Amino acid sequence: MRFQDAAPDARAATYARIQADPLVHAAAEALLDASLGERVMARAVMNGETLEPDGWRTCFPTLFGPTAEDATRAHAERVLGAVLAIAERGAGVRDQYRGALVEELTARLLARRAGDAVKRERRILFDGVRAEIHPYDVTVERAGAAEAHDCKWGARGVGADVLHQLDDAHQHAAEEDERLTVGLVVFDAALSCLVRLDAQTAPSAGIDLVTIETLDTLARPRTGASR
Amino acid sequence: MQRMPAPTIADLVTQALATYVALSDLGEGIDDEWSYVQDLSGAWREELDALATARAGVSASDAQAAAIERICDEAGRITDPHRAIDWLSTFPQVVLLALGADEGTAAATGSAAGAA
Repeated sequence: MRFQDAAPDARAATYARIQADPLVHAAAEALLDASLGERVMARAVMNGETLEPDGWRTCFPTLFGPTAEDATRAHAERVLGAVLAIAERGAGVRDQYRGALVEELTARLLARRAGDAVKRERRILFDGVRAEIHPYDVTVERAGAAEAHDCKWGARGVGADVLHQLDDAHQHAAEEDERLTVGLVVFDAALSCLVRLDAQTAPSAGIDLVTIETLDTLARPRTGASR
Repeated sequence: MQRMPAPTIADLVTQALATYVALSDLGEGIDDEWSYVQDLSGAWREELDALATARAGVSASDAQAAAIERICDEAGRITDPHRAIDWLSTFPQVVLLALGADEGTAAATGSAAGAA
Protein backbone atom coordinates (compact mmCIF):
# COMPACT_ATOMS: atom_id res chain seq x y z
CA MET A 1 0.00 0.00 0.00
CA ARG A 2 1.39 3.39 -0.95
CA PHE A 3 0.11 6.93 -1.29
CA GLN A 4 0.42 9.14 -4.33
CA ASP A 5 -0.58 12.68 -5.32
CA ALA A 6 -3.71 12.84 -7.42
CA ALA A 7 -3.16 13.46 -11.11
CA PRO A 8 -3.67 17.18 -11.81
CA ASP A 9 -6.54 18.15 -14.10
CA ALA A 10 -8.47 21.33 -14.85
CA ARG A 11 -11.21 20.59 -12.35
CA ALA A 12 -8.70 19.87 -9.60
CA ALA A 13 -6.85 23.09 -10.39
CA THR A 14 -10.06 25.11 -10.04
CA TYR A 15 -10.94 23.38 -6.81
CA ALA A 16 -7.42 23.88 -5.48
CA ARG A 17 -7.93 27.63 -5.76
CA ILE A 18 -11.06 27.36 -3.62
CA GLN A 19 -9.24 25.14 -1.13
CA ALA A 20 -6.55 27.81 -0.84
CA ASP A 21 -9.01 30.71 -0.44
CA PRO A 22 -8.37 32.58 2.83
CA LEU A 23 -12.14 32.51 3.49
CA VAL A 24 -12.01 28.72 3.76
CA HIS A 25 -9.04 28.86 6.11
CA ALA A 26 -10.60 31.55 8.31
CA ALA A 27 -13.81 29.55 8.65
CA ALA A 28 -11.93 26.33 9.43
CA GLU A 29 -9.87 28.14 12.06
CA ALA A 30 -13.00 29.57 13.66
CA LEU A 31 -14.71 26.17 13.68
CA LEU A 32 -11.70 24.30 15.04
CA ASP A 33 -12.60 24.86 18.69
CA ALA A 34 -16.28 25.55 18.12
CA SER A 35 -19.15 24.13 20.16
CA LEU A 36 -21.82 21.95 18.60
CA GLY A 37 -24.16 24.93 18.66
CA GLU A 38 -21.67 27.03 16.70
CA ARG A 39 -21.14 24.26 14.17
CA VAL A 40 -24.90 23.85 13.69
CA MET A 41 -25.10 27.61 13.22
CA ALA A 42 -22.36 27.40 10.59
CA ARG A 43 -24.29 24.71 8.77
CA ALA A 44 -27.51 26.72 8.88
CA VAL A 45 -25.88 29.95 7.70
CA MET A 46 -24.11 28.25 4.79
CA ASN A 47 -27.35 26.45 3.86
CA GLY A 48 -29.49 29.52 4.31
CA GLU A 49 -30.86 32.41 2.32
CA THR A 50 -30.38 35.25 4.79
CA LEU A 51 -27.07 37.09 4.79
CA GLU A 52 -28.04 39.50 7.53
CA PRO A 53 -26.28 38.58 10.79
CA ASP A 54 -28.97 39.79 13.20
CA GLY A 55 -31.40 37.22 11.86
CA TRP A 56 -28.96 34.43 12.60
CA ARG A 57 -28.19 35.80 16.05
CA THR A 58 -31.90 35.57 16.81
CA CYS A 59 -31.98 31.91 15.74
CA PHE A 60 -29.35 30.93 18.31
CA PRO A 61 -30.28 32.28 21.74
CA THR A 62 -27.81 29.99 23.50
CA LEU A 63 -25.00 31.73 21.60
CA PHE A 64 -26.24 35.32 21.38
CA GLY A 65 -29.19 35.59 23.77
CA PRO A 66 -29.40 37.55 27.00
CA THR A 67 -28.09 34.66 29.07
CA ALA A 68 -25.06 33.92 26.84
CA GLU A 69 -21.71 34.69 28.43
CA ASP A 70 -19.46 37.30 26.84
CA ALA A 71 -16.84 34.75 25.82
CA THR A 72 -19.52 32.54 24.25
CA ARG A 73 -20.95 35.46 22.33
CA ALA A 74 -17.51 36.65 21.18
CA HIS A 75 -16.52 33.27 19.78
CA ALA A 76 -19.91 32.78 18.16
CA GLU A 77 -19.52 36.19 16.48
CA ARG A 78 -16.20 35.05 15.06
CA VAL A 79 -17.79 31.88 13.66
CA LEU A 80 -20.78 33.79 12.30
CA GLY A 81 -18.60 36.32 10.52
CA ALA A 82 -16.42 33.64 8.96
CA VAL A 83 -19.26 31.49 7.65
CA LEU A 84 -21.31 34.46 6.44
CA ALA A 85 -18.32 35.41 4.31
CA ILE A 86 -18.62 32.03 2.61
CA ALA A 87 -22.40 32.23 2.30
CA GLU A 88 -21.97 35.60 0.62
CA ARG A 89 -20.08 33.96 -2.23
CA GLY A 90 -23.46 32.93 -3.61
CA ALA A 91 -25.25 29.72 -4.42
CA GLY A 92 -23.18 29.07 -7.55
CA VAL A 93 -19.92 28.34 -5.75
CA ARG A 94 -21.18 27.75 -2.24
CA ASP A 95 -21.20 23.96 -2.64
CA GLN A 96 -17.51 23.92 -3.48
CA TYR A 97 -16.62 26.26 -0.63
CA ARG A 98 -18.59 24.17 1.84
CA GLY A 99 -16.87 21.00 0.69
CA ALA A 100 -13.45 22.62 0.91
CA LEU A 101 -14.27 23.87 4.40
CA VAL A 102 -15.17 20.41 5.71
CA GLU A 103 -11.94 19.03 4.26
CA GLU A 104 -9.85 21.83 5.78
CA LEU A 105 -11.49 21.43 9.17
CA THR A 106 -10.96 17.67 9.05
CA ALA A 107 -7.29 18.09 8.12
CA ARG A 108 -6.72 20.60 10.95
CA LEU A 109 -8.39 18.38 13.54
CA LEU A 110 -6.41 15.33 12.39
CA ALA A 111 -3.20 17.39 12.43
CA ARG A 112 -3.62 17.92 16.16
CA ARG A 113 -2.66 14.28 16.68
CA ALA A 114 -0.94 13.36 13.43
CA GLY A 115 0.93 16.55 12.50
CA ASP A 116 2.72 16.50 9.16
CA ALA A 117 1.44 13.01 8.36
CA VAL A 118 -1.86 14.59 7.28
CA LYS A 119 -2.10 15.01 3.51
CA ARG A 120 -4.77 16.16 1.07
CA GLU A 121 -6.06 14.83 -2.25
CA ARG A 122 -4.08 11.60 -2.28
CA ARG A 123 -4.67 8.31 -4.00
CA ILE A 124 -3.88 4.96 -2.43
CA LEU A 125 -2.26 2.31 -4.59
CA PHE A 126 -2.34 -1.43 -3.92
CA ASP A 127 -0.37 -4.10 -5.73
CA GLY A 128 -2.29 -5.58 -8.63
CA VAL A 129 -5.31 -3.33 -8.10
CA ARG A 130 -6.38 -0.66 -10.54
CA ALA A 131 -6.10 2.74 -8.85
CA GLU A 132 -9.26 4.67 -8.05
CA ILE A 133 -9.65 7.81 -10.13
CA HIS A 134 -10.90 9.92 -7.25
CA PRO A 135 -8.39 10.76 -4.54
CA TYR A 136 -9.22 10.66 -0.86
CA ASP A 137 -9.92 14.07 0.61
CA VAL A 138 -7.67 13.70 3.65
CA THR A 139 -5.18 10.98 4.52
CA VAL A 140 -2.94 10.25 7.47
CA GLU A 141 0.20 8.62 6.15
CA ARG A 142 1.90 6.82 8.99
CA ALA A 143 3.31 3.31 8.84
CA GLY A 144 1.02 0.93 10.68
CA ALA A 145 -1.61 3.58 11.38
CA ALA A 146 -2.68 4.98 8.04
CA GLU A 147 -6.06 6.61 7.53
CA ALA A 148 -8.16 7.72 4.57
CA HIS A 149 -11.11 10.07 5.06
CA ASP A 150 -13.75 11.26 2.67
CA CYS A 151 -15.52 14.47 3.66
CA LYS A 152 -19.12 15.44 2.98
CA TRP A 153 -21.05 18.60 3.68
CA GLY A 154 -24.30 16.77 4.28
CA ALA A 155 -25.73 13.31 4.83
CA ARG A 156 -27.23 13.39 1.38
CA GLY A 157 -23.74 13.30 -0.08
CA VAL A 158 -23.21 9.81 1.29
CA GLY A 159 -23.80 7.35 -1.51
CA ALA A 160 -22.81 3.95 -2.82
CA ASP A 161 -19.78 5.25 -4.71
CA VAL A 162 -17.99 6.64 -1.69
CA LEU A 163 -18.89 3.67 0.50
CA HIS A 164 -17.54 1.24 -2.10
CA GLN A 165 -14.33 3.23 -2.52
CA LEU A 166 -13.67 3.32 1.21
CA ASP A 167 -14.59 -0.33 1.69
CA ASP A 168 -12.40 -1.41 -1.22
CA ALA A 169 -9.43 0.44 0.25
CA HIS A 170 -10.05 -1.17 3.62
CA GLN A 171 -10.23 -4.63 2.07
CA HIS A 172 -7.18 -4.19 -0.14
CA ALA A 173 -5.13 -2.93 2.79
CA ALA A 174 -6.12 -5.98 4.80
CA GLU A 175 -5.07 -8.22 1.92
CA GLU A 176 -1.61 -6.62 2.15
CA ASP A 177 -1.59 -7.00 5.94
CA GLU A 178 -1.63 -3.22 6.26
CA ARG A 179 -3.76 -1.36 8.72
CA LEU A 180 -5.83 1.36 7.08
CA THR A 181 -8.60 3.14 8.92
CA VAL A 182 -11.21 4.48 6.53
CA GLY A 183 -13.73 7.11 7.53
CA LEU A 184 -16.54 9.35 6.45
CA VAL A 185 -16.54 12.84 7.94
CA VAL A 186 -19.96 14.45 7.50
CA PHE A 187 -20.76 18.01 8.59
CA ASP A 188 -24.29 16.95 9.43
CA ALA A 189 -26.18 15.35 12.29
CA ALA A 190 -25.59 11.71 13.14
CA LEU A 191 -29.30 11.02 12.92
CA SER A 192 -29.44 12.24 9.32
CA CYS A 193 -26.33 10.23 8.42
CA LEU A 194 -27.70 7.05 9.95
CA VAL A 195 -31.00 7.47 8.09
CA ARG A 196 -29.03 7.92 4.88
CA LEU A 197 -26.81 4.91 5.52
CA ASP A 198 -29.74 2.74 6.47
CA ALA A 199 -31.04 3.03 2.91
CA GLN A 200 -27.73 2.08 1.32
CA THR A 201 -26.90 -1.46 0.23
CA ALA A 202 -23.20 -0.71 -0.24
CA PRO A 203 -20.87 -2.12 2.43
CA SER A 204 -20.17 0.07 5.43
CA ALA A 205 -19.04 -2.32 8.16
CA GLY A 206 -15.44 -1.12 8.40
CA ILE A 207 -16.06 2.56 7.84
CA ASP A 208 -15.79 5.06 10.70
CA LEU A 209 -18.52 7.69 10.80
CA VAL A 210 -17.68 11.11 12.19
CA THR A 211 -20.53 13.60 12.32
CA ILE A 212 -21.04 17.21 13.34
CA GLU A 213 -21.47 16.08 16.95
CA THR A 214 -18.25 14.05 17.03
CA LEU A 215 -15.81 16.06 14.90
CA ASP A 216 -13.49 16.60 17.84
CA THR A 217 -12.82 12.85 18.03
CA LEU A 218 -10.63 13.31 14.94
CA ALA A 219 -8.11 15.13 17.11
CA ARG A 220 -8.01 12.53 19.86
CA PRO A 221 -5.68 9.54 19.95
CA ARG A 222 -7.21 6.46 18.42
CA THR A 223 -7.96 3.81 21.00
CA GLY A 224 -8.75 0.76 18.96
CA ALA A 225 -9.51 -0.77 15.64
CA SER A 226 -11.85 0.91 13.24
CA ARG A 227 -15.45 0.54 14.24
CA MET B 1 -55.81 44.66 28.58
CA GLN B 2 -54.82 41.06 29.23
CA ARG B 3 -51.33 39.92 28.36
CA MET B 4 -51.18 36.79 26.18
CA PRO B 5 -49.74 33.82 28.07
CA ALA B 6 -46.20 32.92 27.14
CA PRO B 7 -45.99 30.03 24.70
CA THR B 8 -44.77 26.72 25.99
CA ILE B 9 -41.94 24.71 24.50
CA ALA B 10 -44.60 22.36 23.12
CA ASP B 11 -46.34 25.29 21.41
CA LEU B 12 -43.09 26.26 19.70
CA VAL B 13 -42.46 22.68 18.60
CA THR B 14 -45.94 22.63 17.07
CA GLN B 15 -45.12 25.85 15.23
CA ALA B 16 -41.83 24.40 14.00
CA LEU B 17 -43.46 21.15 12.88
CA ALA B 18 -45.86 23.05 10.64
CA THR B 19 -42.88 24.58 8.84
CA TYR B 20 -41.15 21.21 8.77
CA VAL B 21 -44.09 19.57 7.00
CA ALA B 22 -43.93 22.26 4.32
CA LEU B 23 -40.20 21.62 3.84
CA SER B 24 -40.85 17.91 3.59
CA ASP B 25 -43.56 18.44 0.98
CA LEU B 26 -41.15 20.55 -1.05
CA GLY B 27 -38.36 17.98 -0.78
CA GLU B 28 -40.67 15.23 -2.01
CA GLY B 29 -40.49 16.93 -5.39
CA ILE B 30 -37.19 15.11 -5.99
CA ASP B 31 -38.42 11.67 -7.04
CA ASP B 32 -35.10 9.90 -6.44
CA GLU B 33 -35.02 11.12 -2.85
CA TRP B 34 -38.67 10.47 -1.94
CA SER B 35 -37.86 7.59 0.41
CA TYR B 36 -34.99 9.48 2.02
CA VAL B 37 -37.22 12.49 2.58
CA GLN B 38 -39.85 10.28 4.22
CA ASP B 39 -37.34 8.50 6.46
CA LEU B 40 -35.41 11.64 7.34
CA SER B 41 -38.42 13.76 8.19
CA GLY B 42 -39.96 10.88 10.15
CA ALA B 43 -36.83 10.47 12.25
CA TRP B 44 -36.53 14.17 13.06
CA ARG B 45 -40.25 14.53 13.81
CA GLU B 46 -39.80 11.86 16.45
CA GLU B 47 -37.00 13.94 18.02
CA LEU B 48 -39.13 17.07 18.00
CA ASP B 49 -42.15 15.22 19.36
CA ALA B 50 -40.02 13.78 22.14
CA LEU B 51 -38.87 17.28 23.12
CA ALA B 52 -42.47 18.56 23.13
CA THR B 53 -43.55 15.67 25.34
CA ALA B 54 -40.62 15.99 27.71
CA ARG B 55 -41.13 19.74 28.20
CA ALA B 56 -44.86 19.96 27.62
CA GLY B 57 -45.70 22.44 30.34
CA VAL B 58 -42.51 24.47 30.30
CA SER B 59 -42.88 28.11 29.31
CA ALA B 60 -40.61 29.33 26.56
CA SER B 61 -38.54 32.48 26.88
CA ASP B 62 -39.01 35.46 24.59
CA ALA B 63 -35.64 34.64 23.01
CA GLN B 64 -36.76 31.08 22.27
CA ALA B 65 -40.05 32.25 20.76
CA ALA B 66 -38.17 34.77 18.59
CA ALA B 67 -35.70 32.08 17.52
CA ILE B 68 -38.43 29.72 16.35
CA GLU B 69 -40.24 32.55 14.57
CA ARG B 70 -37.04 33.52 12.79
CA ILE B 71 -35.89 30.02 11.78
CA CYS B 72 -39.38 29.22 10.49
CA ASP B 73 -39.20 32.41 8.41
CA GLU B 74 -35.80 31.35 7.08
CA ALA B 75 -37.05 27.88 6.15
CA GLY B 76 -40.07 29.45 4.50
CA ARG B 77 -37.78 31.24 2.06
CA ILE B 78 -36.57 27.95 0.61
CA THR B 79 -38.16 27.26 -2.76
CA ASP B 80 -35.70 24.80 -4.28
CA PRO B 81 -36.52 21.16 -3.43
CA HIS B 82 -32.85 20.16 -3.24
CA ARG B 83 -32.20 22.87 -0.69
CA ALA B 84 -35.36 21.84 1.13
CA ILE B 85 -33.83 18.39 1.63
CA ASP B 86 -30.73 20.03 3.10
CA TRP B 87 -32.99 21.95 5.46
CA LEU B 88 -34.85 18.80 6.54
CA SER B 89 -31.70 17.97 8.45
CA THR B 90 -30.57 21.49 9.43
CA PHE B 91 -33.89 22.94 10.58
CA PRO B 92 -34.64 20.48 13.40
CA GLN B 93 -31.07 20.79 14.70
CA VAL B 94 -31.54 24.54 15.03
CA VAL B 95 -34.95 24.10 16.66
CA LEU B 96 -33.63 21.58 19.20
CA LEU B 97 -30.75 23.87 20.12
CA ALA B 98 -32.98 26.92 20.43
CA LEU B 99 -35.41 25.11 22.68
CA GLY B 100 -32.69 23.92 24.96
CA ALA B 101 -32.60 20.25 24.11
CA ASP B 102 -29.51 18.52 25.40
CA GLU B 103 -26.76 19.02 22.81
CA GLY B 104 -26.35 15.29 22.83
CA THR B 105 -29.97 14.54 22.01
CA ALA B 106 -29.34 13.60 18.44
CA ALA B 107 -25.72 12.68 18.86
CA ALA B 108 -24.73 9.17 18.05
CA THR B 109 -21.16 8.09 17.69
CA GLY B 110 -20.67 4.94 15.77
CA SER B 111 -19.69 3.23 12.62
CA ALA B 112 -21.39 3.50 9.32
CA ALA B 113 -22.38 -0.09 9.90
CA GLY B 114 -24.33 1.00 12.93
CA ALA B 115 -27.08 2.11 10.66
CA ALA B 116 -27.63 -1.28 9.16
